[in-house]
Amino acid sequence: MVSSPYLMAVAAIAYTHLACSADDLGAMWGTAQEESNYYPIVSIPIPSAVPMMPGSFEILPDGRLAVGTRRGDIYFVRGAFDSPPNPQYHLFASGQDEIFALSWRDGAMTATTWGEVTRISDTDGDDVADRFDTLTNNWGYAEGHEFAFGSKHDAEGNIWVALGLSGSYASHNLLRGWAVKVTPDGKMLPVCSGLRSPAGVGPNSEGVMFAIESQGPWNGCCSLKHLKQGAFLGHPASYNWYPFVPGMTTPAVEPNSNSRMGLERKRVKELVPPAVCFPYIKMGRSISGFRLNQTGGKFGPFDNQLFLGDYTLSIIMRATTEQINGVWQGACYPFREGLATGIMNVEFSPKGQLIAGGFTTNSQWPVRGASPFAIQRIDWNGITPFEIREINIKKDGFLITFTKPLDRQVASKSDAYDIRTFTHIYQAGYGSPEVDQTSAEVTRVEASADGLSVYVQLKEIVGDHIHAFDLAKLTSTEGQHLVHSKAYYTVNEIPHN
Amino acid sequence: MGEWAVLPAASHQKCLANAPAPATVRRDMMRTQQQIPIRARVLRFIPLVAILPFCLLGVVMAEPSVAGLSSGLEPGLKGQVLIEELNCVACHSGDASLATRSKKSPRLAEVGSRINPQYMEAFIGEPHRIKPGTTMPDMLSTMAGDEKRRVANSLTHFLLSLKPGNFSIQAPDTVAVVRGMRLFHSRGCAACHSPRDASAKELLANTSVPLGALDKKYSFKSLSDFLRQPHASRPSGRMPDLRLQGQDIDSITHYLLQDTRVPGGLSYTLYRGQVWEGLDSAKVTAERAGQVKDFALESLGRVEHHSAIQYAGWINVASQGSYTFFLKMNGGSLSVDGKIIIDQAPRDGRGIKDLQGSVDLAPGWRSIQLAYFHTGREPQLACEMAGPQMQRQPIPASMLAVSDQPIPVAEPFQVDPALAAVGREQFSSLGCASCHDDLRVPSKSRLALAQLDASRGCLSKDAGAWPRFDLNAQQLEWIRKALPDAGHLQLSDKQRLDKTLATFNCTACHERSGLGGIAPERNALFTGTQPGLGDQGRLPPPLTDVGAKLQPQWISEVLFHGKRQRQYLEVSMPQFGEANVGNLVELFGKVDELETVAIPEVANVKESKDAGCEMVGTSGLSCIACHEFNGRKSGELAAPDIARVSERLKKNWFNLYLRQPSRFHPTVIMPGYWPGGQSVRPNILGGDAAQQIEAIWIYLEGGAQAKKPAGLSRQSNELSVSDVTEVCRGHCPVGYRGIGVGYPSRISLAFDSDEMALRQLWKGEFANVDIGSFHPRGTDTFAFPQGIPFHRLKTLEDNWPYKGKTNYLFPQDQGYQFRGYHLDATRRPTFLYHYGDIAVEDFFEDVRDDKGNAYFKRTLTFDCPTEPVPFYFRAAAGKKISRRTEREFTIDQLQLRITSEHNGLLREGNLGEVLIPLTPPRGHSTLTLDYQW
Repeated sequence: MVSSPYLMAVAAIAYTHLACSADDLGAMWGTAQEESNYYPIVSIPIPSAVPMMPGSFEILPDGRLAVGTRRGDIYFVRGAFDSPPNPQYHLFASGQDEIFALSWRDGAMTATTWGEVTRISDTDGDDVADRFDTLTNNWGYAEGHEFAFGSKHDAEGNIWVALGLSGSYASHNLLRGWAVKVTPDGKMLPVCSGLRSPAGVGPNSEGVMFAIESQGPWNGCCSLKHLKQGAFLGHPASYNWYPFVPGMTTPAVEPNSNSRMGLERKRVKELVPPAVCFPYIKMGRSISGFRLNQTGGKFGPFDNQLFLGDYTLSIIMRATTEQINGVWQGACYPFREGLATGIMNVEFSPKGQLIAGGFTTNSQWPVRGASPFAIQRIDWNGITPFEIREINIKKDGFLITFTKPLDRQVASKSDAYDIRTFTHIYQAGYGSPEVDQTSAEVTRVEASADGLSVYVQLKEIVGDHIHAFDLAKLTSTEGQHLVHSKAYYTVNEIPHN
Repeated sequence: MGEWAVLPAASHQKCLANAPAPATVRRDMMRTQQQIPIRARVLRFIPLVAILPFCLLGVVMAEPSVAGLSSGLEPGLKGQVLIEELNCVACHSGDASLATRSKKSPRLAEVGSRINPQYMEAFIGEPHRIKPGTTMPDMLSTMAGDEKRRVANSLTHFLLSLKPGNFSIQAPDTVAVVRGMRLFHSRGCAACHSPRDASAKELLANTSVPLGALDKKYSFKSLSDFLRQPHASRPSGRMPDLRLQGQDIDSITHYLLQDTRVPGGLSYTLYRGQVWEGLDSAKVTAERAGQVKDFALESLGRVEHHSAIQYAGWINVASQGSYTFFLKMNGGSLSVDGKIIIDQAPRDGRGIKDLQGSVDLAPGWRSIQLAYFHTGREPQLACEMAGPQMQRQPIPASMLAVSDQPIPVAEPFQVDPALAAVGREQFSSLGCASCHDDLRVPSKSRLALAQLDASRGCLSKDAGAWPRFDLNAQQLEWIRKALPDAGHLQLSDKQRLDKTLATFNCTACHERSGLGGIAPERNALFTGTQPGLGDQGRLPPPLTDVGAKLQPQWISEVLFHGKRQRQYLEVSMPQFGEANVGNLVELFGKVDELETVAIPEVANVKESKDAGCEMVGTSGLSCIACHEFNGRKSGELAAPDIARVSERLKKNWFNLYLRQPSRFHPTVIMPGYWPGGQSVRPNILGGDAAQQIEAIWIYLEGGAQAKKPAGLSRQSNELSVSDVTEVCRGHCPVGYRGIGVGYPSRISLAFDSDEMALRQLWKGEFANVDIGSFHPRGTDTFAFPQGIPFHRLKTLEDNWPYKGKTNYLFPQDQGYQFRGYHLDATRRPTFLYHYGDIAVEDFFEDVRDDKGNAYFKRTLTFDCPTEPVPFYFRAAAGKKISRRTEREFTIDQLQLRITSEHNGLLREGNLGEVLIPLTPPRGHSTLTLDYQW
């Protein structure tokens, strides 16, 4: 029996939803069902006796999955990539601080924990670690919110570590708010300042190192930031460590609050703007780890793109980057939602599966995914989804490429491209609303002969704005709509030609 | 060696280990010294006022400043606000309610104890020059200078004749000033009054309620009394009661009166804590400051051990010549005329020293600064001097002054009864008594509001026998428009509500749609103790739709009884007085309306309540991850307590909010759990959103009796030790880089990898381990103080170095580098670290004595590429320390035995220490010890 009060309640919910649907924060993309037709999610079972809170992943040379946990353990897992998964967990090391990065090289596992970078090895061949060689513990670590996230080894064997501030607003201990590089012989080399609460650290397809930044003071939304040597990345609390860094001097100018990134870049010459902004809630709330897809097509049509997990929303997103006038920028795209827990990190398996895992906790943020912890796998089933593959900026517009040919008749209409722009207030206060909104005027559309790309010329590209694309009207030659019609391109620079 | 090269920075670092760097002390003194002349120059303003009260002082005149006129209040009502704030009804009668709503003038019966008589006289004569922006009209505007001065003087005599005044000023406490500055800006004062820069210059004077020169107006006592009970003298509540603690009020008062100058011998600042680290160490707190007549310690009251006093002042030198200063103290420094003549580091391990130093001085005022450390055994201070025509003697108070410029002494004001009688007459005839109606002085009545001609009198530019307000054109226009209806105003509920909110400047702190909110330039002043809550953790909640949100009883509690929900906001919720804002409770309820949500019928209340409990807990929506529940929090955030939500919130609003939190706060942190009406927990109550929200409400209505939700108490997570050693790392009682080791013999230790030091021993159960942290369990805990293991002491008096809060590069700057550990077959760790180029291995074995008692055998192995400079190893430190032989020591319950060919020595002090002098040979060598307790 459905009672009439029940119907009224439904009506009331529908009403509030409609009233605010234009900016319905917190709503899901609503694409999980469609996504599962291409990228099914497979859960990797965890035995109840294993206190698993995954924070980092690595693939061992013998093909096993390595998992580093918040509790400070490292597990080696055989069979995680089988279908169905048949995992066997082996405890390799324990007793460390929280592990948010693992990287295997030269017979040892290098773990970045909150307190140090440690090279962990097994010297007697029993597959259990017995040496814990500290490469460095020279950054300040004396408060509870002073997170540390690390990268894999770069080409020179360095580990890059992003050091969160002491909370959101202050830097109380040495190099909090900086990114540092730790060399194989244990030297710690400061790279850049201005981070707030960074998460995952890793390279793009050109080997350039980036870190995820969280929304908060001086950060209107989460973003991907280029860890450029000598740069200042936006949050001035960490200015205080320049006198401790040989070879660097404190920037002459501090950014003004209640301003715009575009304006302050002109004042503060060291300021490097975020390369990819992820509009808050629409594209993540607390982005965590990310990984470059170099599976050579095993994971579908998104080779050389970044895949990023989000803790609060339990989703995976994609991002692409390009360097324009010497500055990195790019776009982000929805990819997969409906994961089981708060995603802390991701990794590609040798079979080209995307491993995603994490946890929820009763002591920090609420999370959409309900499981207290989980390791899941996103498999590509070989069917190509109709998606925006990538957006690239040109002198007077954007080149949008797709994974499948477009219906060129639909694609040639300029009203099929809803492009709006906005930016954030660059401010000391927490986060920012979206401000300075404009609607872009499409002056010309030109679809390529193969239908796989379209060039959209705009009357004006708005500098320093995020360009939000909604291409819901486009269809493929097979009449499909895009799985995800939205994408967001961060314009820092406009190509000169 | 993998250390990060740090040398260029080392010069920025004070070496904390070696006691107060004299440079630091000197720098502070220089600062004090420089401040005095600058202040003397700039702030001589009011003594001038006293002498030349009616001269032009270059102060900008300004129209009356009325808070709330800059809000989004409809322009038609702004004139009404002005009519009420200027108390027009005091002279021009209107309806009774207008008189009630209008702002009453300050009560004057006790003004003689409240206001400096000199200020009073100057202000009466020229109110708009003395305090630009005041709403007090100039009543003497048509009088010539001499007459004006006479009238102001007799009015002052009258006001001071009302009650014997006890007005007297006191020197500000510069320590409280620093605290007061923070409080002034964070507690809410600066929401209405202008925020100030470090030199107390007002930054937003044009958009703030003016304060005037408070140091000339108030004494410490009268201003702090006023801040405690602002409504006693200003009953209309425009200046609210911030309900601050007494100490906070005192600090704010010192801050506001920081320019008060009082004659005295010396300024002092008293510090407490680990003063040998230097007075700017994080472990040293400035406690208080003030003025004393001389260097006698007794005048400071009780001085605790481990204090330091910094004196600064000027000494009056009579004749040219060489002067010698004699100090008896444990440590400190003296500088005279800018030269350091005595400098002695404090040492806790010894008593006092006799020190002396000489300097050539020319006649006149010479600066003198003394930093004194109340440390060591039987601390004391004596400060004497001798010189030409001056025998050795304690420096007399008569030679000392806090400033090299004369500071005028305020003469007590003598009331002349004849002048007071004249003043009383003028108080009546000039019209003062119309507004200041608490003195029972008769007042004249004038034309009723309704009969006024808006182009004449106070509202004209003409001078005449009427009050002069200096209204600006915009204000005049507002008043002229409002005047015809002002006496018998008919307003809608919304207009009444808006007008009240504007009058009391509620929108200075609270956003309300249509009226405005926090000005962007003030936004950053609002701070909170829970940064994780984002803007909601620092900004007062919006008032948009608040009448549809809150139960009227709760609004009353907040407005009139100081109840508050968001303890993490630094800003106070001020109290404006029920008589003044009592209408808000009803008006909010009448004006604010939101659509009504249909509440579903609940078939099974118990099932619903259980589902509510599940959703609130960690297995459901985990509300308690952020929200407190019955005063308990499960995590680090402390968002508002939800257990008593039904006492505060209206159910309808609760429904609307849960469905879409972002509707009510654009940057809300709380996620929507029913996005698009779909529950994220489809398995509870069939995923029915309406039933789920109702279930949470029903459950929370249980209040304090509600069943505890899952996850509220954190589970213990014991790590027990069986036949192999266990290690855990992270935050623990010894620091953030702690390493806990539990051994199979049921003894455990904690090692600090920041300082490479053994820090704790215990017996029995090992530890509870959480993510990123562990907490030792067990019994018989023995804790060692902070400090590195090895050091080259220059003398045995030097303090042993440890990592303070701000010696950021320590201990790497002492040559240390942690290198990790390796495990043996039973997984016992050997810690690895470098001390300079010496590679150290530090191994603890759990062994048993012949009685079966477990203890630690420690083996330190040194690998030296060259023969090192000798150094000390601090094997143990603590209280109750004694030596049995050169190799056997007792520290409280701990027995320390050196079992290799090394001898220890005992160093006494606040903490005793066992130091082992070491000169390890080139190559490999070992030191072994037993720790048994």
